[in-house]
Amino acid sequence: MQEHILEVSGLKKSFGDHEVLRDISFSVEKGEIICIIGSSGSGKSTLLRCLNRLEEPTAGTVLFHGKNTESERSRVSFLSKVGMVFQSFNLFANMSVLENCVIGQMRVLHRTRKEAEEKAVFYLEKVGMAPYRNARPAQLSGGQKQRVAIARALCMDPEVLLFDEPTSALDPEMVGEVLSVMQQLAQAKLTMLIVTHEMSFARDVASRVIFMDQGVIAEDAPPEKLFTAPEHPRTREFLGRIINRQF
Amino acid sequence: MVRPATFFGWVELLLNQYGSLFLKGTGITLMIAVTGTLLGFLLGLLVAIVRTVPVSRRDPVYKKIPLKIAHFLLGAYIEVFRGTPMMVQAMIIYYGTMQYLNLRMPVMVAAVVIVSVNTGAYMAEIIRGGIISIDKGQKEAAYAMGMTHWQSMTGIVLPQAVRNIMPSIGNEFVVNIKDSSVLNVISVGELFFMSKSAAGTYLRYFEVFFITACIYLVLTVSITRILRLVERRMDGKNNYTIYGSQSDSKSSITISDAKEA
Repeated sequence: MQEHILEVSGLKKSFGDHEVLRDISFSVEKGEIICIIGSSGSGKSTLLRCLNRLEEPTAGTVLFHGKNTESERSRVSFLSKVGMVFQSFNLFANMSVLENCVIGQMRVLHRTRKEAEEKAVFYLEKVGMAPYRNARPAQLSGGQKQRVAIARALCMDPEVLLFDEPTSALDPEMVGEVLSVMQQLAQAKLTMLIVTHEMSFARDVASRVIFMDQGVIAEDAPPEKLFTAPEHPRTREFLGRIINRQF
Repeated sequence: MVRPATFFGWVELLLNQYGSLFLKGTGITLMIAVTGTLLGFLLGLLVAIVRTVPVSRRDPVYKKIPLKIAHFLLGAYIEVFRGTPMMVQAMIIYYGTMQYLNLRMPVMVAAVVIVSVNTGAYMAEIIRGGIISIDKGQKEAAYAMGMTHWQSMTGIVLPQAVRNIMPSIGNEFVVNIKDSSVLNVISVGELFFMSKSAAGTYLRYFEVFFITACIYLVLTVSITRILRLVERRMDGKNNYTIYGSQSDSKSSITISDAKEA
């Protein structure tokens, strides 16, 4: 039997009267790479943010290895195992690249500085940013920042990595360098949930694609199926528009 | 005694006669301003951390109610101490504790307490402003890796916020150097109080307070300069080193970016 890492059931989220998520249920198995697509305002980012409690869901549960993630005590250990990469990078502006990767390990996982630095350099090398370990975030390009952010998340040894439109704030030239790092992670079978508008990336890398529309999961299928023979009319409409735009 | 005929003659005489008095007053003023600003700053940090604890709808009642009460009390503290003159606060705290708690505070302790508590109220709001100025994403990134509110505040948000509010902290420092003069109402021997005693003997108010003004100015200008240095220090180096190249892994190159001053 496959192991559910995350199990989401009946998840709802409203901001005031505005219902952003309406009854979302799905589960994530170890090693799965799930791309979440959909038009703006369909609730993709909110879903991701509810998973790691940056937003408090209005209703519903998120189980991590079968355990509820709501209580204060389980929160910290859960959060350090669910990494997040943001659209706007959110590197700690007052720290060097290395320090960005070290602080979480020391403060949350209580590793020694030596251990933390070794791990940080290891992952910075993986994303090709080790030479810049002394630089400050403000001195890096967007693509470089995002690669550091990925290394920072990996340093916490996450079981799941959430990506919230990791390439949307980047110059077209820099999208490639970030996607290739993510491709490496996919090959290493890291469990990932990726909110993205990069359809060709989703088609190549995802093991499952979720199409969201107006706060619900409209379609959830393997990429071969979803991109070639979408069932839901809204999926067809969305993909039609996207593909026309990409020549 | 021969009375000096000129302004500078008087200044010289007063300095000769009351130099140690001025010096003592200056020392006490500086002591009160430095400790008062520092303690007030720490108080402000604590207040700001508590006031920014996120309360969510789903939190249990035993966490919500104490936080609500704390938020209310801290809000009241800020309103009261910002909304009344420090001179009045000095009278109330000093004589209040004496009359009702039978507590005869040494006057210096009272002075530091009054200035700290008063500064704390202003600092809490200045620091809150600093926290608001920091991009929300910084806190979210900290939360997302499992940091607690306290950890994300002390490790990530406040260091950046404090850098941003250094000019306002400087303001508070300067205000405290000057406004500690109101403590003469409870007979704290600071610079203003000493000056008044010095002026009394010959009734040369203008000359004495000319000297006093100069001393205050020297103090405030020096503090401002020192804080500018601290700011530079906090900004850190504006260059960085890139390690290794394709041909030589031991090589390194240092890049400095011309940051605007």
